[in-house]
Amino acid sequence: MNSFADRFSTTGTAVEQRRIKEYVADEEDVSDSMWGSEAGFGTIAHGTPNFMVPTVPDPSAFLRLHTDDHADPSCRIKIKHGTTTLAFRYQGGVIVAVDSRATAGSYVASGTVKKVIEINPYLLGTMAGGAADCQYWETYLGMQCRLHELRNRERISVAAASKYLSNLVYNYKGMGLSMGTMICGWDKTGPAIFYVDSDGTRLKGDLFSVGSGSTFAYGVLDQGYRWDLTDEEAQELGRRGIYAAGHRDAFSGNTINLYHVQQQGWKFIGNYDVSEMHYNGPTGTAGYGYGVRVEGRSSANPPA
Amino acid sequence: MDHFPTHWGRPRNELDDQYNTFPLHQRPANHTDTFANGVQRTQQPIVTGTSVLAIQYKDGIMMAADNLASYGSLARFKDITRLHAVGTSTVIGASGDMSDFQHIQRVLDDIVTDEFTAGDGNSLGPAEIHEFLARRMYARRSKMNPLWNSLLVGGFQNGKRFLAFVDLLGTTYSAPSLATGYGAHIALPLLRQSIDPNPDAVTEEAAREILRNCMRVLYYRDARSLDKYQIATVTEAGVTISDTQKLDTTWDFAENIRGYGAQTQ
Amino acid sequence: MPDGSYERPQQRQFNPYSENGGTILAIAGADFSVIAGDTRQSEGYSIQTRYAPKVFRLTERAVLAVNGFAADGNMFVKKVKQRLEWYRHAHAKDMPLRAIARLIQTMLYAQRFFPYYVYNILGGIEEDGTGAVYSFDPVGSYEREACRAAGAAQSLVQPFLDNQIYFKNQTPAPGTNHPTHLPLPDVLSIVIDSFTSATERHIEVGDGLEIYVVLAKGRSTQELASIGGLQELSTRAEGDRMFVIRRDLKKD
Repeated sequence: MNSFADRFSTTGTAVEQRRIKEYVADEEDVSDSMWGSEAGFGTIAHGTPNFMVPTVPDPSAFLRLHTDDHADPSCRIKIKHGTTTLAFRYQGGVIVAVDSRATAGSYVASGTVKKVIEINPYLLGTMAGGAADCQYWETYLGMQCRLHELRNRERISVAAASKYLSNLVYNYKGMGLSMGTMICGWDKTGPAIFYVDSDGTRLKGDLFSVGSGSTFAYGVLDQGYRWDLTDEEAQELGRRGIYAAGHRDAFSGNTINLYHVQQQGWKFIGNYDVSEMHYNGPTGTAGYGYGVRVEGRSSANPPA
Repeated sequence: MDHFPTHWGRPRNELDDQYNTFPLHQRPANHTDTFANGVQRTQQPIVTGTSVLAIQYKDGIMMAADNLASYGSLARFKDITRLHAVGTSTVIGASGDMSDFQHIQRVLDDIVTDEFTAGDGNSLGPAEIHEFLARRMYARRSKMNPLWNSLLVGGFQNGKRFLAFVDLLGTTYSAPSLATGYGAHIALPLLRQSIDPNPDAVTEEAAREILRNCMRVLYYRDARSLDKYQIATVTEAGVTISDTQKLDTTWDFAENIRGYGAQTQ
Repeated sequence: MPDGSYERPQQRQFNPYSENGGTILAIAGADFSVIAGDTRQSEGYSIQTRYAPKVFRLTERAVLAVNGFAADGNMFVKKVKQRLEWYRHAHAKDMPLRAIARLIQTMLYAQRFFPYYVYNILGGIEEDGTGAVYSFDPVGSYEREACRAAGAAQSLVQPFLDNQIYFKNQTPAPGTNHPTHLPLPDVLSIVIDSFTSATERHIEVGDGLEIYVVLAKGRSTQELASIGGLQELSTRAEGDRMFVIRRDLKKD
């Protein structure tokens, strides 16, 4: 086992890891994992986990050669991708809405993905990009947030949690991680959203959408967003945004998952089928599709 | 952030092709740096052996390989033994790079010696040798420094036959009849036809005849093969590797072949 | 180039991956789980062997199916089994299914930069006695589902399962609802039909079929009584029971 980050970084978690390793004077690689219960996260005392890196001159080129590429079917390792996510801040808290489609190449690998990762009762992370990268690192972030609580006797702020994540992925910059995530929560400062991606970008803001369907979602959000939305209006806007992306973007769709973050923590609002939204809408009376609005106006859409 | 999902999960490649103008099937191989060139690894085989054939039969297993080690298309060494006894109940046969095979022979002989000097009455059987080779081959491929061989491991221990395959990637499998390289395409269907329905019905004489026939078929069509070959048997009695045998071949039929090269009439 | 020249120096790069065909599939019921795989191993157009298992018993109530590059798959199963044994030594019990699922995620993700080319499907019984299926991508993202097909014929089998298990694009008769879980005999028929059909239409599928059935504690084994080629794998008659059904598939 050799770690690329370990060998080349002079700052950050890898160095910290080396220092702690010397401190606990633990030389065996397997000692913790042998006591099975920690399931790989057992190495937490040693900082970030180690990664096996291929012994080739350029490890990231190796990964590029073997993982999926839209125009090159000979790349056999298809990694699942997540696609449209959005979150916005308003007077009533934060609305988080995502779709549930995962694609591997052009194959719809799953239509039931949970793209909102429940880091803890006050923090949500969204998943766009590599599904495994998001799941793994946001789980890892959840552990670090809990450690923060135990050390400091107070909950971690959204700013600190998101910064932890962005610093972490920055260590792996250029090696092929892909995640575009929004860390959403409520802390002492009120509702907060931070956009973090695998390039190391970290942005604070009121409204974000990430993924290939983001342009469609932005279109809906921008025309309907106000600070003083009511809770019902805000939830409807989030739902409508993901619906638009699911309808127009091939890589998004299946169902919508809607969350609402308030002072007392996040709340799951519901799961909505995109096709159901198109024809019947959330109440079952009016679909989002424009079929309703052109009814009776043309021979292709005669009155029902 | 790149919003197009099919670009995700891979390192960013805008540096070598910013606008995706380069045809992907001609994508450049990994660049090398000067320091990496200091270490040489087997990136392609040099002196090579061709197919190995092996079958299970009534009394144990039988394996065959010819005596040629080629240097590209040159028939370079014509007296090479590609079958190797490991301990008293196992034989391995190798195709692929002969220097890597010699390395494997040395390693296996070492562990057999170690096991003997332990003096605990245990010895390595074919299953153990195969497991060892599979782990070693997989470990080397994972270091991107493979041992460029396809190996067959056969043996007989505790009243049971053992026959299995392992290659440079660490891929393993087992079957009543096995063949490597060209033999997997040309000889294996013949072997399967006569062995797979019931290996227990095949006598030693019949097994020897089946292998001889397959070696002849291979010699007729495999341009990297030789008409000199050896047969190894492993039975209750132990390992025997035969002396070199010569195939009797007839080329009369060549007179009647029409349609190749200049000979069109 | 016809003239023998190349635009740039050619370098042959060793490719550490291969693809060995085959298909795996798992379906969860209310109190049982079925995990199946064919036994053909191939490379390109060559059948390497007609019997190479892809489905493995991990514990009394967990089964793992692996598909993709056989060497990676076998190595991965070996390592998972080793970790589960360590867990047994430390805690004197088997690791629960959802914990095995998380273990598999971390083990796959540890190879993020040199991935195992393996699609994993984990099936078994949860601690609450429900049947469960977890599916993974090669670098460890996972999800609990009711059914999943992976491997060479996944694009043939999964749409069939969507229709038969999830009742996708089916409208229930007026006044009725689709069942949430199918009974075991129906599931077994669907599994067998999936594989016989995939064998007909995909060249890398065939030879043999191994179906593992895990039944929750206390569940009747009655429905399995009439099944041919059945073998019990459980070591204790109380607790969860595990069976394997071995069948032939077409060999052409």
